[in-house]
Parts: sequence; structure tokens; C-alpha cells
Amino acid sequence: MTQVCLLKTAVFLPLLGALLIPFISKISVQTRNLFALTLGILTFTASLMLMPHVLGGMTITYNIPFPLGFNFTLTADMLSVFMALISSFVSSIILFYSIGYMAHYENQTEYYAMVVLFLGSMMGIVYSTNLIWMYVFWEITAVCSWRLVGFFRAENDILKANKTILVTVFGALCMLLGFVMIYSGKGTLDLSILRGETISLLAAFLILAGILAKSSTLPFSTWLPDAGVAPSTVTALLHAAVLVKIGVYAYARIFGTSVTVEPVFAQTVLIIAGLSAIISAGAALVETNIKRLIAYSTISQLGFIFLGLASGNNVAFIGALIYILTHSVAKGGLFLIAGILEQKTHPKDITKRGGLLKTMPITAISFILCALSIMAIPPLGGFFGKFLVFAGAIQNGNPWIIAMFMFAAILTVLYLLRLFYLVFLGEAKEHPPKEGSPTMLISVAMLALISLLLGALIYYPMFYTEALSLKLGVFLQ
Amino acid sequence: MNIILIPIFLPLIMAFLILFISEKTKYIKELTAIVTTLIALMASIAMFGGALEFSLPWAGYGADFKLKTDNLNIVILTASSFFSFLIAVYSFGFMRKKTASTKWFNFNLLITQAFSAGAILSDNLLLLLFFWEGLLIFLYAFIALSNENRNSKATAMKAFIINAATDLCLVLGIAITGYLAGTLNMSEINASGKLTMHGWAIGGYLLLMIAAISKTGAMPFHTWIPDAGKNSNVNFMAYIPAAMDKILGVYFLIRISVYLYQLNGGMQIMLMTIGAATLLFAVMMALVQTDYKKLLSYHAVSQAGYMILGIGTLHPIGIAGGLFHMLNNAIYKSCLFLTAGSVERQTKTTDIRKLGGLIKNMPLTGLFFIIAALSISGVAPFSGFFSKELIYKGTLLTGHKVFFFIAVIGSILTLASFLKLGHAVFFGKRPETLKETQEAPFSMLAPMLALAGLCAAFGFGAKLPVKFFLEPSLTFLSLEHTLPLSGFHFDKLFFISVIAALIALISHILGYKTFSKPSKASDHIHHAPGLKQIYSMAEHKFFDIYEQAMSFTPLLGKCLMAADNFFDFLTDRLPSLVINSLSKISQKFHTGSYPLYMALTIIGFALYMVFVLGGTK
Repeated sequence: MTQVCLLKTAVFLPLLGALLIPFISKISVQTRNLFALTLGILTFTASLMLMPHVLGGMTITYNIPFPLGFNFTLTADMLSVFMALISSFVSSIILFYSIGYMAHYENQTEYYAMVVLFLGSMMGIVYSTNLIWMYVFWEITAVCSWRLVGFFRAENDILKANKTILVTVFGALCMLLGFVMIYSGKGTLDLSILRGETISLLAAFLILAGILAKSSTLPFSTWLPDAGVAPSTVTALLHAAVLVKIGVYAYARIFGTSVTVEPVFAQTVLIIAGLSAIISAGAALVETNIKRLIAYSTISQLGFIFLGLASGNNVAFIGALIYILTHSVAKGGLFLIAGILEQKTHPKDITKRGGLLKTMPITAISFILCALSIMAIPPLGGFFGKFLVFAGAIQNGNPWIIAMFMFAAILTVLYLLRLFYLVFLGEAKEHPPKEGSPTMLISVAMLALISLLLGALIYYPMFYTEALSLKLGVFLQ
Repeated sequence: MNIILIPIFLPLIMAFLILFISEKTKYIKELTAIVTTLIALMASIAMFGGALEFSLPWAGYGADFKLKTDNLNIVILTASSFFSFLIAVYSFGFMRKKTASTKWFNFNLLITQAFSAGAILSDNLLLLLFFWEGLLIFLYAFIALSNENRNSKATAMKAFIINAATDLCLVLGIAITGYLAGTLNMSEINASGKLTMHGWAIGGYLLLMIAAISKTGAMPFHTWIPDAGKNSNVNFMAYIPAAMDKILGVYFLIRISVYLYQLNGGMQIMLMTIGAATLLFAVMMALVQTDYKKLLSYHAVSQAGYMILGIGTLHPIGIAGGLFHMLNNAIYKSCLFLTAGSVERQTKTTDIRKLGGLIKNMPLTGLFFIIAALSISGVAPFSGFFSKELIYKGTLLTGHKVFFFIAVIGSILTLASFLKLGHAVFFGKRPETLKETQEAPFSMLAPMLALAGLCAAFGFGAKLPVKFFLEPSLTFLSLEHTLPLSGFHFDKLFFISVIAALIALISHILGYKTFSKPSKASDHIHHAPGLKQIYSMAEHKFFDIYEQAMSFTPLLGKCLMAADNFFDFLTDRLPSLVINSLSKISQKFHTGSYPLYMALTIIGFALYMVFVLGGTK
């Protein structure tokens, strides 16, 4: 298969495949599940097969011309393949987990169609170089997340789903204004042409609003914990692995590797990110609903990713990319574990749980491995991301920003340990539950194991992101 | 295969193999641990004198998997491997009667050995950080699995959080050091000139120092150690807080203070103050304890103060004293914890008010206790005397005599507390219930014998350790000195130590005569006016920064939650309110009344015209 063909597969296969799912479901439930899983795995494989080519320094482009400079251009370079690999991999694991988890619920066909459509539009965002097409895919993910968050269709679920879409679409519209400003100024929205250009501060902040809304950072962060009403697979998909990474990816793509803005922009981002990291870590410290707690943790960790992206040097940028990788894996694992707990033990309130270590050892060990990765304790993978992000922030040289993140890092250790203590240690407060279904256990154990392996084999992602940053980064010190 | 990899990877691999051995097997796990640590020890000794290197590309950006031996770290490595081996042997007997899992104990022991060896041998700072911080998990597991009760879990959490916070300081410190030096390899930083104290370097050094002294257990990062003394088992206490943590902490403190950074007078005073405060306050706390293990835990903190004081002098003699004291401390403190373990195993208690007269039943344990206690108290001719002498000399040479006096007061109180402990446990009246007590088994006595032997071998002029350990390390650190390190000197310092011993003895006799029980021999100090209130505050954990911070966190969490709710209000409630009220207002005009619509249209048109015409003027 040619490289362009691989690129087309990576984007169009899940997009078109999602539309087929309702028809496939007429054959049988198993075929539908298997089909959805295959779509996820094939998407991942296509991106994986692109990797050696982009690593060799190639940039693969597929172009459908449109008038007025709105060409539909897909580009596979090191950054897009990196992001595509992470999101399609975690999505595949989530699809595999769903087979066990979703088996008892209604409307499964819509669920699978939406998840795969979501994955496809994510691929679209990642591979698009034209901002206008990025925006189109961006809004498709918003619609998917709207359907998925309100999946259970109760009164409250619908309210929270509406909140999700209203906040993210508000941000996206701001972003669209920013794009319009760029378009009227530069006459194009093609990032490969815009590379190295300087854009106005206002346009940058408008785009930032969209990014913050999607990546759930202050002041648009609160939809994320509320969206915890969705099934756990959805929260894993949206909150941990894919949706919230769209914003940081867009930041890396637009401000990290394409255009430049005045330095005051990056400084503002750093302050917002620091506040966001501290406030949501503090909220996680007192939250008692497990899914909301993990969602707050995600908001907090996204702050660290922004710290890396906005610090403006290679070390920090590499750190942020490694952070995206390790956090996607570990946080995906945590949400899926929350899903197991939700099915096996009914109260969501963590203070009403306890002593699960004895009856659910695999879940507990997977949990602690993922949590340690997020706390950035070696030998887990998360350690490297946090070290590099801090090292980069030091090069940037603002001690107050560093102090803020240092504090947030300590809070991270506190709230994750508190969660572990309340859920897995202590006295069992109800009839002790058994482990979840095999597909669910395999999924979480795999994510935990990968978190561990990333620590041992950090050489490979490091090598890749270092090359990436040197090749694509603009104005990084 | 490079021999430098053996002390790291052999224990690592064997640790995971142990997990596959059934819990039911009797000796295989213990023997595996013993043999593995023995091989690691022999490998460490075999590397003496050479300068081995191992390097692999690892984490990019100059962070290679780079190991290197030199005359300093090989001494440290040998010491740490030695203690791993000793504890493995001791546990063979001790764990037999315990409920805690031997499989996990041995797993933790081997992993700790592997990671410590890694941290010691790393030349690259990121690699050092990787191993150093990696120890956290196993510190936690060690404490949490040492006992079945809930307290051990709480203590494990405390230890984890305190160490995680200070390890974060290490993360930042190493990032700053790497940024300033342009490389993360310690040998390259040293070769291209040490970092001097200005700007970011001050912050960088302070952060590294916090990590180093917190590892040694200095105040105010010590509070988990006495808790662990109470809630975990002695194998852990003898191994981690008494030996491994001190070894790593002192090693790293020397590395940063002498090898990487060029310190100034301010830093010297600060280090010496931390050392002096730690040694004094901790020994004051030790003096009034009535639990064997808890008393020893406070000494584990107090002795760290001496090491930091010695290194803080920045004088070759003082640094040699700090390093030497660390080795001595690891030896006698482990020995003391092991005697506590023997007593606990044979009598089922460590409360010294319930013990007494055990010298008749456990003569060997008693003898080892006496040797180690004399050594820790700095009584000649045992090892502790010589290292303390070097530290005293170092402090005097800096000209700051106040630190010298504090160190001597610390010595007096140390001896007083051991007179109390020894008197209460091994001498005095034996309770009837302890009549049938047996001596500990051979596998527990052998490590104590080895350690007590070392207390003697490192004493008597200290020729052996000076020749093999101290002189090579000082040469490597290019610290030149004219005063002899070894040998016995009948100078003023010796007479001061004799006077100190006499004061301690008088204090003990005074306390014993007043309260007529050896376990209460320190009560005259405990209940002294002024001190009584301070002791009471300390016992209520008023000075425990962890407990203070933890009592503050719920409030902090609530405040931050309120901030989060505020942003939620801004993005959720406020827009809804505004939109709703706007739509209510516009609803008022939609009454269906045709005249009203007409009137509004006309008014609107009129306003528009005024606006347009007004604009053209």
C-alpha cells in the first residue's frame, strides 16, 4: 500500500466505517462489536505503518483542491502520526473494553457508531493541515461527545451533555473568529503556508479560547467533571485519551510548529495553566465521586502539558509530548478502572467504598501503576514527561510559574493516594465484589503494563519526540 | 557482561523471580535473597580501586544510562550491599515468627538494593533521580506490608508523601543543575568547574540539599521515622532508616556540596545549623521515649544531624568525619535495631517499662547492645568516638564554637538515653513473666555479631576505615588535609568526651535515684519546667510539618473547590441567567399585539434615522 493510501485509510476508514455500523448491527451484535474493534485497530495500524516513513524525514500529503484556499489537505508528519498513534491506540483498547462493559446497556449500535465516528474525526483533526477542515472535524467531535455524554438519556445526563456541547462549541466559535482573522490577514488557512508567520494577539487569544474549552482548562474546565455522567468508556475516551488531547494537539500544531505570537501570549497561557492545575488539583482533593475526581485530575494534568507546550523550548516541548503519551495511557487506565468499580460496586462515593485490594487485586495493582505514572514516580513512564516539562520551564525562567506547578505536583500525589486509600485499602464497607469481566481486566492491565514499559523503554518515544521537535518546532530555543 | 551491572540488575531480576516462588516454600525465598545480595556485595568489593564505566543511550538530551565507579561511590556501594546482605541473613530468622509476607519482604529488599546501587553508581543525574525516586514505591511497600494493622498503612502514606515532596525538590534541583551546567553527567560538571553560588544556582543547590537531608532523615523531614519505628518491623528500621537512607543521603550530600557546587560561608552556616538542630532536638526526644524501637528511631534522626554537621563544615576533616560517622552509624544503629528485634521476638514487647534484667537470658544480645551503645555514644575506643572526634575537630576548625558545644551536649544526652535504655532492658529487676526468655537464634545473632565486631574493628584508632574508605574518598574529592585522620590522641577532645560521659552518668544516677525505675531515669529532664511544655507540644505532633500540613489540606481543598465552583458559575450559571433574562425581556414585547409591533418598528426606524443622520454631520 502506498503511503498516501495509508494516510487516506487512517482518516476515511473510521469515518466511513462508522456510517456502516448501523447496517452491520443488523447481522449480529458480535459482528458489530468485532467490526467496530477492527476499525479501531486498522486505524491504528495505518498510522503505525506511516511511522517509519515520517521517521525517515518524509512528509506525506494528500490534497483535494477546494476554491478560496480551502483545500482539503491531509499531511502525515512526525507530530500528526505521533498523536494519531496515541489516540487510535487508546481508542482501540477502549473499544475492546466496551465489549464487556457495554454488554448490558441499550442503544449500543449508536454507541459504537459514535465512538468510531469520533475516532475518525479525531484522525481528521490530527492529519488536517488546513485550519478550516480542522474546525469541521473539531465540531464533528463535539457532536459525537454530545451524544455520548448524554448516552443514558436521563434528565440530568441530557443537561450535562448540553453543557458539554455548549461550552466547547462556544470556544470553537471563538476559535473560528480567530481563524477568520488569520484568513483575512494572510489570505490562507493552510498551516504549511503559514509556517513561521506571526499572527495578531487577538486572533491568538480567540484560538486559545477554543483550545481551552476543548482541553478543559480554566475558565472553561467545569464541563469535564460534569460529563462524568456518561458511561465510563466514554469518559475514558473523552476525558483521558482523545477529546481533551485535541486542544493540546491544536496548541502544539498551531503555536508550537506553525505560527508565532508575541511572548506575552505564552506567558498568559502559562499562568492560566498553572491556576488551572492548582485549582482542579485542590478540587480533586475534596471530591468524593470517583469519576469526577479523575476528571479533575485530568484538568490538572492538562495544565502540565500546557506548561510544556508554552515554555517555548525544545526540552519542554518534548516533555509535553511525552506527557501526552504517558498521561493518555495512564488516565485511560484510571477511567476504565473506575468503570469496573462502577459496575461491580454501586456507590460512586469513594468514602463508601474500601478494602477492594483483597477481592480485586488485578484492578488494584493496575490502578496503582496508572496512578504512579500520573504522580510521575519512576520507574513508571510519567516520570520522564514531568521531569522534562520542569526542566523546560526552568529554561523559560519564571520561578513563580515553577512554584505553582510544583505545588500542583504535590497535590497530585495527595489526591491520588487518598483515592487509592479510600477505595482499595481500609475496611470493606459492603459485600466484597469480584473482579470485572476478562475483556475489561485485560484492557486495564494492558494500560498499566504499558505505563510500566514506557518507563523501561523510554528511549524510543524520547528518540522520536526529540527528532520531531528539532524538525518541526518553530522558534523553540 | 560488565561487572558494574551486577549489583543493579542481578537483584532486580531475582526480585521478580522471588514473586513466582510459592509463599508456602520454606527457605528458597530467603536463600535466594541471601545469595543474591552476597553476590552483589562481592561484585562491589571486586570493583574497588578501578574506574569502570558503562554507558548506553537512554532518555535523550544528554541523559545517557551512564554508570561510573570512583573511589567515593564504591565505598558507598559496598556499604549498602553489605547491609542488604546482613538484613537478608537476619530476616531468615526474624521473619519465621511473623505474619507479614516473607515473599514481599525479600522482593522489597532486593529491589531496594538494586535501586540504591543504581542511584549510587549513576554518573548521570537523571538516572540517579530515576533510581532514587523509584525507591519511593518500595519504601511504601516495605512499611505498608510490614504489619497487618491499619497504622502501618497510615505511616506508609506519611513516609511516601514526605519523601515524594522532597523528591520533587530533587527533580527541580536536578533540572536546574543540568540547565546551569549544560550537562547532566556529574563527572563532566565537576571537570568543567563546579557551580558557584549565585542566581539560580542557590535555588538549585538548596533543592538538592533538601532532598539529600530529607533522605538522611534530618529535621523537619524526619517525622515518619519515629512513626515507622512504632508501626513497622525492625528489619525495615535496621535496613532503611538506619542504613540505606543515611548511606544515600550522605553520599548525595557530599556529592552536591563538594563535587558539584562550590559552597560559600552562608551555606556552610545553614548546613551546620540544620545539623546541630537535628542532632539536639532529636536526641532530646529520644531521651524521653519508653519504647525500644521508637527511642532508636529518634536516634536515627539525631545521628543524621552529626553527619550533616560534619559535612556542613566544608572542611576536609569534618567531611571525612561526616562520611565516617555515616558508616559507623549504619553499623551500630542497625545492630541496635537488630537487638530490639531479638528482644521483641523473644519477649513479644518493646515497651521498656515491661522489660528488665534480660542480660541473664540473652547474654549475647546484651553484649552486642552494649558494644553498639558505647559506640553510638562516642565512648572510646569504639568506632563512634573516632568519627565524632573528626566532626568535633571540623567544627572547631571553622571557628564557630557554638556548633561544637551543641554537638557535645548531643553526645551527653545520647549516652544518657542509652544508659536508660540499657539499664531498663538488660539490667535492673527482671519481671517474673520474662523468666523463661530464650536467647535469639543463630541466624539473628550472626549479623549482630558481625556488626558489633565492626564497631570494634572501626574503633581502636580507626586505622582500617581511614586507609580503605576515607583517604581514597578524600583524594577523589581532591580535599587535602594535614591533620591525621586515624590514631588515638590524648588531647583536649578526649578529656571533653570523658567529662561528657561523666555528666551523662551523673544525670542517669540522679534520675534513677529520684524515680527509682530505670525506665524513668530521664523524667527529671522530661518534667523540667519549661521543657515539659515543649515536650507536651512535641508529643501532640505540634512540630510535625506533615501533620500540620495535613490538617490544613482539607481547608485548602475546599477553598480551591470554591474557586472551581466560581468558574463553573461564570461558564454555566451566569450565561444561562443572562440569556434567560434577556429572552424574558424580549418575550414581553411579543404579545401578539399588532399595534405594539407597528409602534416598535416606527420607533426603531426613527432611532435608526437619527443615528444615520447624526453620523453624517
